[in-house]
Amino acid sequence: MTEPQSLKPKLKPTADGRVSRDNRQTVGDQFIDNPRMTCRDVNVYYADKQAINNVSLDIGSNEVISMIGPSGCGKSTFLRCLNRMNDTIDTCRVTGEIKMDGHNIYSNEIDVVALRAQVGIVFQKPNPFPKSIYENIAYGPRIHGLVENKTEMDEIVETSIKRAGLWEEVKDRLDQPGTGLSGGQQQRLCIARTIAVGPEVILMDEPCSALDPIATAIIEDLIDELRQHFSIAIVTHSMQQASRVSQRTAYFHLGDLIEVGPTSRIFTSPRHELTEDYITGRFG
Amino acid sequence: MNRKIETESDVVIYPKKTMDIVKRGLARRYRSERRFKFLGLSAIVASLVFLTLLFASIIGNGYTAFWQTFIRLDIYFDPHILTKDNLSRANYPGLVKSSLHSLFPDVSGRRNLRALDGLVSKGAAFELRKMVLNDPELIGTTQSIWVTADDDLDMLVKGHIDRSVPEIARRISNLQLSWIDTLSDQGRIRKQFNTAFFTNGDSREPELAGIRGAAVGSFYTLIVTLLLSFPIGVASAVYLEEFAPKNRLTDIIEVNINNLAAVPSIVFGLLGLAVFLNFAGLPRSAPLVGGLVLTLMTLPTIIISGRAALKSVPPSIREGALGIGASKTQMVMHHVLPLALPGMLTGTIIGMAQALGETAPLLMIGMVAFIVDVPGGFTDPSTVLPVQIFLWADSPERAFVERTSAAIIVLLGFLIVMNATAVFLRKRFERRW
Amino acid sequence: MFKKVAIVAAGVFLLTSAQMTSAQSARDYISIVGSSTVYPFATVVAEQFGKTTDYKTPKIESTGSGGGYKLFCAGVGVEHPDITNASRRIKSTELEQCQANGVQDVVEVKIGYDGIVFANSTKADSMNISRKDIFLALAKEVPDPNGGENTVPNPYKTWKDVNESLPDKKIEVLGPPPTSGTRDAFVEMVMEEGGNSFDWIKALSKSDSSKYKAIAHTVREDGAYIEAGENDNLIVQKLDSNPDAFGIFGFSFLDQNTDKIQGAPIDGVEPTFDAIADGSYPVSRPLYFYVKKAHVDVIPGMKEYLNEFTSEMAWGPDGYLVDKGMIPMPDAERNQFGADVKDLKTLESVD
Ligand SMILES: Nc1ncnc2c1ncn2[C@@H]1O[C@H](COP(=O)(O)OP(=O)(O)OP(=O)(O)O)[C@@H](O)[C@H]1O
Ligand SMILES: [Mg+2]
Repeated sequence: MTEPQSLKPKLKPTADGRVSRDNRQTVGDQFIDNPRMTCRDVNVYYADKQAINNVSLDIGSNEVISMIGPSGCGKSTFLRCLNRMNDTIDTCRVTGEIKMDGHNIYSNEIDVVALRAQVGIVFQKPNPFPKSIYENIAYGPRIHGLVENKTEMDEIVETSIKRAGLWEEVKDRLDQPGTGLSGGQQQRLCIARTIAVGPEVILMDEPCSALDPIATAIIEDLIDELRQHFSIAIVTHSMQQASRVSQRTAYFHLGDLIEVGPTSRIFTSPRHELTEDYITGRFG
Repeated sequence: MNRKIETESDVVIYPKKTMDIVKRGLARRYRSERRFKFLGLSAIVASLVFLTLLFASIIGNGYTAFWQTFIRLDIYFDPHILTKDNLSRANYPGLVKSSLHSLFPDVSGRRNLRALDGLVSKGAAFELRKMVLNDPELIGTTQSIWVTADDDLDMLVKGHIDRSVPEIARRISNLQLSWIDTLSDQGRIRKQFNTAFFTNGDSREPELAGIRGAAVGSFYTLIVTLLLSFPIGVASAVYLEEFAPKNRLTDIIEVNINNLAAVPSIVFGLLGLAVFLNFAGLPRSAPLVGGLVLTLMTLPTIIISGRAALKSVPPSIREGALGIGASKTQMVMHHVLPLALPGMLTGTIIGMAQALGETAPLLMIGMVAFIVDVPGGFTDPSTVLPVQIFLWADSPERAFVERTSAAIIVLLGFLIVMNATAVFLRKRFERRW
Repeated sequence: MFKKVAIVAAGVFLLTSAQMTSAQSARDYISIVGSSTVYPFATVVAEQFGKTTDYKTPKIESTGSGGGYKLFCAGVGVEHPDITNASRRIKSTELEQCQANGVQDVVEVKIGYDGIVFANSTKADSMNISRKDIFLALAKEVPDPNGGENTVPNPYKTWKDVNESLPDKKIEVLGPPPTSGTRDAFVEMVMEEGGNSFDWIKALSKSDSSKYKAIAHTVREDGAYIEAGENDNLIVQKLDSNPDAFGIFGFSFLDQNTDKIQGAPIDGVEPTFDAIADGSYPVSRPLYFYVKKAHVDVIPGMKEYLNEFTSEMAWGPDGYLVDKGMIPMPDAERNQFGADVKDLKTLESVD
């Protein structure tokens, strides 16, 4: 996996015009016009082990891009590069270039605190703070100084929780610990916590993995609504969900970005054999 | 178990035997579980037994010290002795003596009178002095007053002196015994709660010796230790764990801190002597210096336990905070530290409990000393509870034996209170999730 | 919360440093260090002094005689002690050290005597013993029992082995460790004298003093002599529970525990009050304290403390120090030292 891109086998179309499974170069529309974020030749290493291999990808404004792929293929790792969450892992090293609005987010001129306020993230495992439900939501706006007074804060907390579809369940127990909620409730609490800060790019790592269809629908509606103003990258194992919410889809395989394209095309006529194997359920 | 059967549908199943094997193994598994439980239980029981024995022996030796024998004397506050201008220097021992002599008018001869006077503590005169100074109206009246008895009489009343041994081998002579019996028949001897033990400083007269001075000294010393070691310890732990770069220098620091925790405490005393007394010129025997030395001693404990507590905070909480844009400091202060604080508190209390029981380093800085006056500040000469115990244990008077145990009871009481506070604080902090 | 703690800590620091400066510039209590043997007596005087005057009670540290001299001789000034107690006289080297550090004038005060007793439980029979017997029972190397001027490792197991007239009981002695002043005195007054009863060993003290010390100062290490720690009370307790054992400790502990332990007559003299006072009991030592003259007018109460200590009420034959087990000096000696203290007569040299 460590071989440089130049050593990769050249594109070798198969008989039916597909790209063979031996080929590891990205197929499809990696690059778009007016991107919000651009990633070029991103490599990620955990100590000596390479987890992401030369990935280049654009994320557009007002779009939802979903990332799919078998477990352990590096989706979370890639997502976490986009707001420098990987900085927190000592062994993790990122090379390549990731730009937001034309500025390299790994350069010194970008403040990582501001970046994370701008690029919010919802983690794969729900991780509410061991504080009250109210405090979980209010924490972000408070540290960023987004509100003037208690009424404004109450408002932010209420709307955020409502948008995450959790209000009815928790409105009477806002002072109770967030850790006392069920797994799915915690997941929605974390979503509400992220959107309370008002980020412009939202990274969601399997946000609906523990949710029932109704809650899932609420989150998907939320994603749809957020897209009007912001960019969203979502990792999901549900192909239906990817096709419902996203405009573009990226397929990862063992650290490589295999194929990118409009969601409808990826699911109807994948051009790479690995993509096809995956979406037809022959793999992963 | 590795033998598996591939069926037509490509599903791998194990032979029926699985349940048989599992069932056969069950008995052994439960047996080993029971064995393990039994071992654990016996360990607990053994340590409880030792603890009970220790407590029983200390309490058995010491509880009598909480009572003290008093003698009722009819004191005539003689206006000739207590003149207006010498109230504080008057011959109070004379008042006590003449009252005693009037009870036994037949006693004569210097030696016998001395023996008679010896029944009452030297402290009695000071008790009278205090009464008169508080209320000069007493002068001219005769009052029936319970005064402290001498330690030998106290020991006799408490049964620590055997009447049956020959007179020559007894601290109390036959003559004294007869006087004591007379007093006792007149209802002039009784035991009372020993308040002096809790209100007095040290004394060479066991019946006057108290632990107030040592307790207050311990208090001042621990205050200094706590105020210094807790913030410094927590700050160091936080810096080392959360902010310090991981390089050779921090490795060396870490190794050194771990080493410091294992250094015999006397070494800190020597260091304190060299640095705080000889170099910085701080006063000898002062709680301030004691606190500084004990701070050096407890810091490693607090730092190590603090770092362990910080490490145990799940990374997901840190990521959650960072993910919504908290700075590293905010993450630490708002999330990590509150979660680690109970653990840090436990470490601190353990460190403080160690410090409370420490004597060796204090020897070097002059806190192992006879100090009567209760210290009034951080620079007054003072001693601490374990030192008081040590000094009493080394005193020849028999009555100090029970006082030593009583002081140990008090020290244990302090330790229990401290640990209970730790548990309570931990519970409180943890209830806030 | 952290801000608060920091502010409080800083406040305490400021306060204490303010206090400190004042504590340094003047000390309003007497600071005393020195011998643990004198400690029980000095403390009584200090307490009496504190209770009957308006001065603060002196602070007394029990540092051992040697440690006391070291602190005492470190210099003049409030950070150094005013008085040191000692269970042996100051050595000329120590006095020189004092003078080298500016402690020019030192007043020597002898206060009385302390006897060292060899005692066992009252449950057992008393044993009349000589210093020679004790030496033979406790030395590491003893003169060859078969005669000749050489030593052999101590072969004696029972007292009877040592001396036919003693009982057939195992030798088992609890005594102080080498760091203790009691041990020094014991070695000097019992072991040396016991060794001197052999003429050839006595001769060694002149001709080969290191060999002499090796014989007369070295206590056996095969378990017959048990170092029982500095705590004399502990020895008393152990004797009480083990009637076969003997203990070595200060007279005051015997005095306080006469119902449990008895002192063995040494060279035929019982360790009684009178025998120690008149010097007929062979194992007694003088007790001293030394006063820094330069401090007398600086530290409040020094003169009054000296008066208290040297008053008949304290160190006289009927004084309260006697109640605590100190053996008073004969009248003449007492008057002599009392007068010296009044004049603050300085110590010129020691031999
Ligand atoms: N902190 C880490 N340290 C070392 N290796 C890691 C770490 N996190 C992830 N990896 C490795 O990096 C690779 C990619 O992991 P990643 O979590 O990105 O997978 P994923 O695509 O999100 O999988 P899933 O769908 O199961 O969540 C895996 O092989 C994993 O073992
Ligand atoms: Mg993942």
